[in-house]
Amino acid sequence: MDTLTTIDEMGFAPTLQQEMLEDTTSDHALLEATRTGDQDAFAELVSRYRNQITSYIYRMTNDYDGAVDLAQETFVRVYRAADRYQRSYAFSTYIYRIATNLAISELRKRKRRKLVSLTGFFQQSDGGEPQELNPPDTRPLQDLELVDTERRNAVQRAIGTLPEKYRAPLILRDVDGRSYDEIAKILETSEGTVKSRISRARGFLREKMRAYL
Amino acid sequence: MRKNNCEVIRRELDELMLDEAASAPVSEHLNDCADCREFHQTQTKLRQMVGSLGTVAAPADFEFRLRARLANDSNGALPFGFAYWPFTRRGLALVSVLILFAIGAVVMWNSMNQPAVTNVAERNPAPAPPRETPQQVQTPVAPRDTQEFQAALPESSPQKIRNERPIEAGQRVKRQLSSVDFSNTRAEVIRATDPAAVFPIDASLQPMRVSLDDGRGNARTISVPTISFGSQRTFASGNTQKGSW
Repeated sequence: MDTLTTIDEMGFAPTLQQEMLEDTTSDHALLEATRTGDQDAFAELVSRYRNQITSYIYRMTNDYDGAVDLAQETFVRVYRAADRYQRSYAFSTYIYRIATNLAISELRKRKRRKLVSLTGFFQQSDGGEPQELNPPDTRPLQDLELVDTERRNAVQRAIGTLPEKYRAPLILRDVDGRSYDEIAKILETSEGTVKSRISRARGFLREKMRAYL
Repeated sequence: MRKNNCEVIRRELDELMLDEAASAPVSEHLNDCADCREFHQTQTKLRQMVGSLGTVAAPADFEFRLRARLANDSNGALPFGFAYWPFTRRGLALVSVLILFAIGAVVMWNSMNQPAVTNVAERNPAPAPPRETPQQVQTPVAPRDTQEFQAALPESSPQKIRNERPIEAGQRVKRQLSSVDFSNTRAEVIRATDPAAVFPIDASLQPMRVSLDDGRGNARTISVPTISFGSQRTFASGNTQKGSW
């Protein structure tokens, strides 16, 4: 009888508890709990991804209010499709795929609506690339913060001029810092295609941002 | 050979993360090749600028709005499938059009298959006095008496019959009647003593035409549309009830 020891004494307890805790707080577990009607689990998922998704869609569409709306639509779709969710992919891949599809759909809608592009007014007569609406100010700026803000705006505008197939992988890689493998899964394409598109996107950006480099 | 090598090196540099160290061969090449070194510096600066965009925060009421949106969606999820209402509406519109088309087709079919109607007024402008036709004599319900008179003209009624002027032969009647000619059939003879006489009519499929004559040459013709309720009740007196004629 003296040989009987408890689990704590065997030293397994911390590992088991840690694994159980990680399991219950993983994205998959939270979505499983959401499926059974646990609203708190879904709220936890929302709090984990709301900023990332909103930011990603904002970088894609360059429209904050629209990005917030689409981010909410992303979570609504996750919630509705919780029953059909499969654990074959990471949840982040799953939710980013939904967000990407919504953002691309929005960009195509805008294209169909033929929104007047402000940069279009500055298109060169020979059919070349349109000039930036706000050309870089060559005068010396006193405030360093203003310089940074101006530079960020220029980058955002330059990203906005990229074709959507180059825009999404560039943002996922250079803004969100995701791996090629994950980007390939999100965009449902091969890793080689992703690398190629990112390289092309950087080439476009380099040309557009030449004044700032 | 060197150009190909530069392309490979640049591709490898491009695939590195910003904080990731390049391999030894790449580092050696960067030391030797000024073009690739410049490319690497420019590319790094560009990626730093893009990376400096950072994350944009969601608004503070993001979760509140999301909850409201989900609540609205769940409220709107009617058993019928409110989410598919636009499709349902289109379906209902299509069904309505089909029903209208079917009704129109039935109406057209009926109008095309109606029996040929003879214009009685044109064929027989003046109604001939009723004649005895043994084949079409109807058996009256009430027993016949010796004192008989023409229908709808009881003795006790001193009312004058309107349109007393007899229609001359060849004169066109203003109001043309579309009915089957029953003028050559015998008129019913109804007893004067009965305040209300019931007699069967077997002209249920065709309009009936009744001729009244006061015996002085004054005649009146009444055309009755198609009867489908079996029998009619006539009242000799003037106090006809509602719904009777």
